[in-house]
Amino acid sequence: MIARARLRGSSPSLHHATLRQHHQRRLLNHFISKSPSSADPIIPKTSQFTLAVKDNIATTSPFPTTCASDILSNYTSPIEATIVTQLRSLGANITGKTNLDEFGMGSHSTHSAFGPVSQDSSLKDPISAGGSSGGSAVAVANKEVDLALGTDTGGSVRLPAAYTGVAGYKPSYGMISRYGVIPYANSLDTVGFLSRQVKPIRELIAGFNSTESAEEIALWKYHDSKDPTSLSLSARLRCAKQREGYNKEWDQTRLNGLKFGVPLEYNIEELDPRIRDAWAAAAERLEQKFGAKIVPVSLPTTKQALAAYYVIAPAEASSNLAKYDGVRYGKRNEEASSDAAGGVLYAATRGKGFGEEVKRRILLGSYTLSSEAMDNYFIKAQKVRRLVRRDFNRVFALENPLQESETFELSDLPDNIEMEDKWGPEEVDFLLCPTAPTLAPKLADVVDQKSVDSYMNDVFTVPASLAGLPAISIPMPVASEDGTKTAGLQLIGQYWDDARLLGVAEAMSKSLQTK
Amino acid sequence: MARIPTAELRRYLLTGQICRRGCLCAFNFPASRPPSRYLSTQPSTSTSVPPTSPLRKQLKEQAKALKQSGAGKKKKKTDNQTVPGWELTVGIEIHAQLNTHHKLFSSATTTTLDSRPNTHVAPFDLAIPGSQPLFQPETLIPAVRAAIALNCNIQPTSRFDRKHYLHWDQPSGYQITQYYHPFAKDGKIVLYERDGIAAEDGGKIEVGIKQVQMEQDTAKTTAQPGEVQWLDFNRVGVPLIEIITLPDIHHPATAAAFVRKVQLLLKSVDACVLGMESGGLRADVNVSVRRAGETKLGTRTEIKNLSSFKAVEDAIIAERDRQIAVLEAGGVVEGETRGWSLGSTETRRLRGKEGEVDYRYMPDPDLGPVVIGNDLVDHLGNSMGALPDKEIDHLINNYGLSPKDALSLMLLDDGARIQYFYDVLDELEERLGPEEGRECGQKHALLAANWCLHELGKLTEETASEPGIAPNIDVRIPSVDLAAILYHLHRKEITAKVAKDLLWNVFRGMVKKGEITETIDMCEWWFKELSEEEYVDIAEKVIEGEEKVLGEFQRYKEGKSKAYPEGKLMFLVGKMMRAGPEQGMDPASAKRVLRQKIEDVLSKGK
Repeated sequence: MIARARLRGSSPSLHHATLRQHHQRRLLNHFISKSPSSADPIIPKTSQFTLAVKDNIATTSPFPTTCASDILSNYTSPIEATIVTQLRSLGANITGKTNLDEFGMGSHSTHSAFGPVSQDSSLKDPISAGGSSGGSAVAVANKEVDLALGTDTGGSVRLPAAYTGVAGYKPSYGMISRYGVIPYANSLDTVGFLSRQVKPIRELIAGFNSTESAEEIALWKYHDSKDPTSLSLSARLRCAKQREGYNKEWDQTRLNGLKFGVPLEYNIEELDPRIRDAWAAAAERLEQKFGAKIVPVSLPTTKQALAAYYVIAPAEASSNLAKYDGVRYGKRNEEASSDAAGGVLYAATRGKGFGEEVKRRILLGSYTLSSEAMDNYFIKAQKVRRLVRRDFNRVFALENPLQESETFELSDLPDNIEMEDKWGPEEVDFLLCPTAPTLAPKLADVVDQKSVDSYMNDVFTVPASLAGLPAISIPMPVASEDGTKTAGLQLIGQYWDDARLLGVAEAMSKSLQTK
Repeated sequence: MARIPTAELRRYLLTGQICRRGCLCAFNFPASRPPSRYLSTQPSTSTSVPPTSPLRKQLKEQAKALKQSGAGKKKKKTDNQTVPGWELTVGIEIHAQLNTHHKLFSSATTTTLDSRPNTHVAPFDLAIPGSQPLFQPETLIPAVRAAIALNCNIQPTSRFDRKHYLHWDQPSGYQITQYYHPFAKDGKIVLYERDGIAAEDGGKIEVGIKQVQMEQDTAKTTAQPGEVQWLDFNRVGVPLIEIITLPDIHHPATAAAFVRKVQLLLKSVDACVLGMESGGLRADVNVSVRRAGETKLGTRTEIKNLSSFKAVEDAIIAERDRQIAVLEAGGVVEGETRGWSLGSTETRRLRGKEGEVDYRYMPDPDLGPVVIGNDLVDHLGNSMGALPDKEIDHLINNYGLSPKDALSLMLLDDGARIQYFYDVLDELEERLGPEEGRECGQKHALLAANWCLHELGKLTEETASEPGIAPNIDVRIPSVDLAAILYHLHRKEITAKVAKDLLWNVFRGMVKKGEITETIDMCEWWFKELSEEEYVDIAEKVIEGEEKVLGEFQRYKEGKSKAYPEGKLMFLVGKMMRAGPEQGMDPASAKRVLRQKIEDVLSKGK
């Protein structure tokens, strides 16, 4: 890591100089701001750990909160995100704020006002760290921090985890407070966790299983009254009652005999054959080592899910980003003669302050919400979203505790799905699939890609986001001509099955890393 | 009739937390410094005395509007309510600020008019990134009450949507409102003649309410020289309801009467604090015209932001006449948004259809549905007290007030006067006791109403230079003292003149609270009626030299004129009252004796 960009109290002008410098030298960085005290050796306490926070999660002074956007490049938040407060109270020392795609919009952490992120900046031909939480993933992969916070809207934690070879977990929607998470698409946004091992994440979410005080630090229990989408305590307890892994110690033996679904629709043309092989190998290993049963399943709405995602997310984004006008905070275009220069209010400030990808999505969202396009895009996408959730509910053995149970027409199923009995096909505990269709691409290739091509990377991660389900990406070895590489293996669970998902992922991750 | 006092209602609604900066110690300040009273008291010692100056203004405006609608009716009928050959159609949208302690989506408190700028603001109100809306359920109480008063169906589930447009008074770039699923639908209100509707609408007219929705208010902007705007975010996020009518109104005066009635209804259920003139209520009107007999409605235009009842009526008349002129000249009415300035004679174009903003309504992804249970609706409905129409009917039917007096009593002092009347009536009935009260029917109530309206009216009129008298009348004239005066008057123990003198003395602080009877004792103002003989003596003196007047009576007696010369009799009674001792004569007795005397004289003369 080369660029330790901004220190505390750096003046805006200095900051601009730094920025320019980055672009000129094409320095690739994954931190936007770092704690001035991080140079001091941290007194190691068992309860303490180092934490990197994605720069779209609000922290108070001394850390700015920029969202990697020029429009917020001088912004320090007056509020602190609930998850940051919670983790600090558990002993987190914040090392710094990490780089991302502006406002979380991107798949390679290249759309940043602070320059793109890469995996190893010493390489001549740097490799994409994935996005949008690329900075957090690299900080974890480089062992600069124990844990990093990201946000996952359509795969923004899982994809960088897959590319950088770490574990990246997206919780059930409504479990972790979003207060202080600067929204990209509220109905999809979740706080995500990145770590080299699954264990520390599982312990945070489900509780430590070694100590007596364990139950108290289990994040799944905490309702945040400041977040209207945070599940109430009673709903949390009700959901947990129908799940395993929350109340007792995680029992390794319970892993045996689980059923894993392999979605047929995920075997797409664009899937890298090396990843397809690794996926099959991982499934085989599960069967051999854990006595798991691999079941082919169908998620027919997969194809439409990606399109629906790229309608819903930009629509919400266009609304959420309307607040950035430079009036109350953030940067205002002072060169313009007035806020209404050119006849459109704030055009100068917003035109200059937002990057290209953000502008693209604002325009896209504004269009799909307009009265002429609303019915054809936004409403349709919401219908697809329901179908996606229905797909999942149909394949999981567990029911979604937030929904009425549904009956499904067997005739709707594809012909290649085997029936278990006259009631239908086998139902599964988890879905097993790759996190991304390709290995981490070279940054140079990414920059030349069209936006639509990079949207393709989210095809396997978006469905779980649309359905609000927990999902995790763990490192999976991939055999390739130039040595073993790493890709991401994704596990998706039914709603609120987070504790068991993390337990399975922990065991599998260990197994995949040993030959 | 029991009526829940405003103060109690408010305490119930807002669990005693509202900060009303009226105060008990208003008299510690010279009357020439009215604004200082707002700065003095602590919220915890607050009383329910309403704030003064804007309401006075509003009262005047209301009285004026009332006068206009009453007195000017004849003129309107021929002048401007209809245009021959054309039919006018009007729909109205009213925005009213709800009476709540907190904003709609943040725990920041709502403000009084004199709060310092930008002191009541939570992170969400400023659209601080990462802050989220937190629906404040207490805002439902005034909202549901308003919807009940407007006879709406309360929806069990309603939702919030974002309405997008960029303006500096809107920090988040969108307003949260209820576009797709409002919380109340399908209401109506009935307007009566006494409400000031156009004569063409007859005795009453029903106006349908399409829906009522909750939404956020915007920030207050103050233009400064050089294209600079100052922003005060105290008001941003304050809960409003928007009331949308069906196009049921066809006359300008009826539109104004509708807005006035909505204000009255909202105040009577304590749903909103401020009236139209203080900016607590704003109206947009949709106006279209069509030729008589046509079934299809004409193209409508919208006139935004009307802030007085007069403006509503005048703007509709001006816009109707403009549209008719356009159509008669062979032109086409454009669907557009227009504005109106006070005192002008024409509406002006603000923006056409091409300038319309596409609001891109989207369900707010942070906010869940609002679920309103029947238990809440029932409880609020049952605990709401009588609605104005029922109360006015009660005043008319049981106490014998005229419709005009009943409505005036209801409107005065923002509802404080009618409350004062009930206080006086209660005290009076307590003094009279159940038997005496029943014996005299409801005469004592009419007496109390007349005094609360007309005698206090004279008093407040003559002291108009001292601000804040009218709304604080109960401080200057305790209801117990007025009741004592009326008690003695009702029992004919004092004369009306003495009663009026007493009222002024109480007002001027010359009489200690609760010492009316003592004061009458001290001043020897008791009514000591003359004996019959003494009356006759005076009567005889009065008739002397009035042969010409007596001639009128003679003509009646002889059947030469049909009507008894009542006027002449009263003239003589007046003369008689002046001739006798002030505290000893009852005009009724004087009249009786005099009439008899005249009869005697005429008979004798024959």
